[in-house]
Amino acid sequence: MDKFVALTVSGVAFGAVLSLVALGFLVLYKSTGVVNFAHGDQVTLGAYIAVWATTDVGLDLPTIPGYVVALAAMFLVGILIERLAYAPIRRRPPFSAVIATLAAAITIRGAIAAWQGSEPKSLESPVGNNTVNVLGANVAQQRLVIVAVAAVAVIALILVFQRTSLGRSVRALAADSETAQLQGVRTGRIAMLTFGLSALFAGLAGVLIAPLSSIDINFGFTLMVTAFAAAVLGGFTSLGGVVVGSLLIGLVQQLLGGYFFTDYAATMPFVLLFIVIAVRPGGIVSLQRSRV
Amino acid sequence: MTDLDVPPVADEAAAPEPTGTARPAWAPWWPTRREHATLRPPALARHQYLTVFAFITALWVLVPQVITSRQDQFNTNLWIAYSIAGIGFYWMIGLAGRAAFCQTFMMALGGYASAWVTRSWGDDAFLLGVVVAMVATAVVAGLIAVVVRKAQLFFFAIATMAVTQIGIEVFTQTESFTGPNGVTSGISPPRIFGTEYLRDTEIFPMFVVILTMVLVAGAALERSPLRREAIASRDNPLVARASGVSTVRVQVVMFAAGSSLGGLAGAMIGHWTGVISTNSFSFDLAIGIFLMVYLGGIGSMWGPVIGAAFYVALPNFLTSFEQYNTIIYGSLLLVVILAMPKGLVGVIEKAWSAGTSLVRRNREASHA
Repeated sequence: MDKFVALTVSGVAFGAVLSLVALGFLVLYKSTGVVNFAHGDQVTLGAYIAVWATTDVGLDLPTIPGYVVALAAMFLVGILIERLAYAPIRRRPPFSAVIATLAAAITIRGAIAAWQGSEPKSLESPVGNNTVNVLGANVAQQRLVIVAVAAVAVIALILVFQRTSLGRSVRALAADSETAQLQGVRTGRIAMLTFGLSALFAGLAGVLIAPLSSIDINFGFTLMVTAFAAAVLGGFTSLGGVVVGSLLIGLVQQLLGGYFFTDYAATMPFVLLFIVIAVRPGGIVSLQRSRV
Repeated sequence: MTDLDVPPVADEAAAPEPTGTARPAWAPWWPTRREHATLRPPALARHQYLTVFAFITALWVLVPQVITSRQDQFNTNLWIAYSIAGIGFYWMIGLAGRAAFCQTFMMALGGYASAWVTRSWGDDAFLLGVVVAMVATAVVAGLIAVVVRKAQLFFFAIATMAVTQIGIEVFTQTESFTGPNGVTSGISPPRIFGTEYLRDTEIFPMFVVILTMVLVAGAALERSPLRREAIASRDNPLVARASGVSTVRVQVVMFAAGSSLGGLAGAMIGHWTGVISTNSFSFDLAIGIFLMVYLGGIGSMWGPVIGAAFYVALPNFLTSFEQYNTIIYGSLLLVVILAMPKGLVGVIEKAWSAGTSLVRRNREASHA
C-alpha cells in the first residue's frame, strides 16, 4: 500500500512537471505553429542556470532568488532564440522552422557542455531533502512543492489565456492566423513574448524537478519527449486536455515502471509516446484541420 | 531546320511551325542541354548516370593519389559510409518529406544484424550479412511506417525519435543478439569469395563499389515516377491522392528504402571497424546526419555526399576548438537554413548556371 501511495504521489508530481513542459511548447505552438525541438534543452539550461545562480561558482544566492534569476534568464534566452532562429524564417515552410529549432537545440546543448562539462550536477531545493508521511508512505516534500507550484503556474497561464489581450491574441492566432493578422494582431511581438514565456515554463519545470535527481545533458530531452506524449494524448490543442494527459502519463509511467517493467522503466516514456502517436491519430487529424 | 529527332507531330498542317528551335550558327552538332530539356522530361534531361560515372572515376583515380596518411584514408572510408546513410536519409526526408530521427538506429540495427549473421554462419557470410542487414532494416522501418502512417510531420519525427530511444535500450538489454552492454566487438572483416579486406586501403575500393551501386540506384530513382509520386505526396497529399497516387504506400516504400541504406552503412562500418556499440550511433551522429543532408543540400542526392565530406573533414580543421564542436555544428546548421536553404549543391548549381550563361552570352556576342 505505501509503495502504491509513494508511486502515486511521484506520478502526480511527475505529471505536474510534464504539464509545465507540455504547456510551454503548446503555448508556442498555438501562437506560431512551431513545435520547438529546443524545448527540452531549455529545460536543461534552466536547471543549469539555477545551479550556477545558487552555488559558489556563480552568484551564490539563496535558492529562491537564484531560481528567480534562472527564470528571468530563461525568458531572455527564449527571446534570443526567437530573434535568431525563428524571426528570419517566419515566412518559410514550417519544416524550416523545425530544423532551425533543432539547430538551436544543438547549439544550447553544445553551450551547456562547454560551460558545465559532462559531470552531472545537483540542484538544491528550498525544502531540502525533508520527507513527510502521507498515508504511511514517506514522500519527499519537494514532490508536494512541485504539485503546488505547478498548479499555481498552470492556473495563472490559463487565466492569462482567458482574461488578457495577449491570451486573446494567441487564441485568435491559433484559431485562424490569417484573419487574426488582418484584425491587427501583432504576430511579431506575440511570437517574441510567447517564445520567452515558453522558455520560462521550461526553466520552471527544470528547477522544480532537478532537486529530485541529478542534472546532465540529456535531462531535459527525456522530459520533452515524455511531454510530447502527454500533449498528443491530450489532443495537442486544449490546455486542460494537456494537463489531464500529463497526469495520466505521469501516473502510468510511475506505476507501470514501478511494478512491471522495472528493467525498461527508462524506456517507458518513449514506448508510451510511440503508442499514443500510433493509436490516437484522431487528435492529430483534428489538429491538422485547425492549423491548415 | 534542325537535325534533332523532334517527336512526330500528329497533324503537320495544324501545328504551327516551331520558330524557337532554329539553331544558331555556333550550336554544336549534338543536342545542347537546353534543347534536351525541351524535348524530354526535365528529370531525364540531367545527365545523372554520366555524373555518377564521372564522380566514381574521379574518386577511383584521385583518392589513391591524394590520400597518404592513414587518418585520411580512414576518414575517406567513413565519408563513403556516411554518404550512403545520408542518401537514404535524403530519400525519406528530401523526397518523401518524412522527417525521421531514426537513421542512426537503422545503422546500429544493420551493424548488429550483419555481425550476428557472420557470427552464426561463419566469416564467409559477409555478403549474406549485408543483405540480411538491409532486409531487416527495411522490414523494421516498413512496420514502423505502417504503424504510424497517419502521423504527420512533427508527430512522425517525434515517433521515430522514440523508436531510436527504445532501440538503444533494447540493444543494451538483448545481450545475446548484440553483446555485453550492447557492444559487439571482434566482428569479422569483410570477406568476399575467400578474399579478406582488412586494411583501410583495401576496404576503400570495396566501399567505392558499394557506393557506385547506391548512386546508380539513386540516379535510377531520380529518373523514376516513384520520385515524382513521393514529391507529390510530400507537397500536396490531397491532390496526389486524387490523382491516384497511394501516398501512404509511397511514403512507406521510401522510408523503408532509405532505412535499408542506413542498415547497409551500419553493416559496412561494423565489418570495417570490427566494433558496433550504441555509442557509435549516438544522438550526435543523428544530428550529424541532419547537418550533412542540409549542409549539402536537401534537394539532390549529391547533397548528402558533399555534406558528409564536410562533416567528416570539419573536425580536422577545428582541432583547437574541439570542445566547441557541437556549438559550431548547431550554428552552422542554423546558418545553412537561414542563408542557403538549398545547401552547397544549390550554391554549386547557381555558380554553374551563371558560368554557362556567361559562356553562352560570349558565344552569341562573338557570332553576332
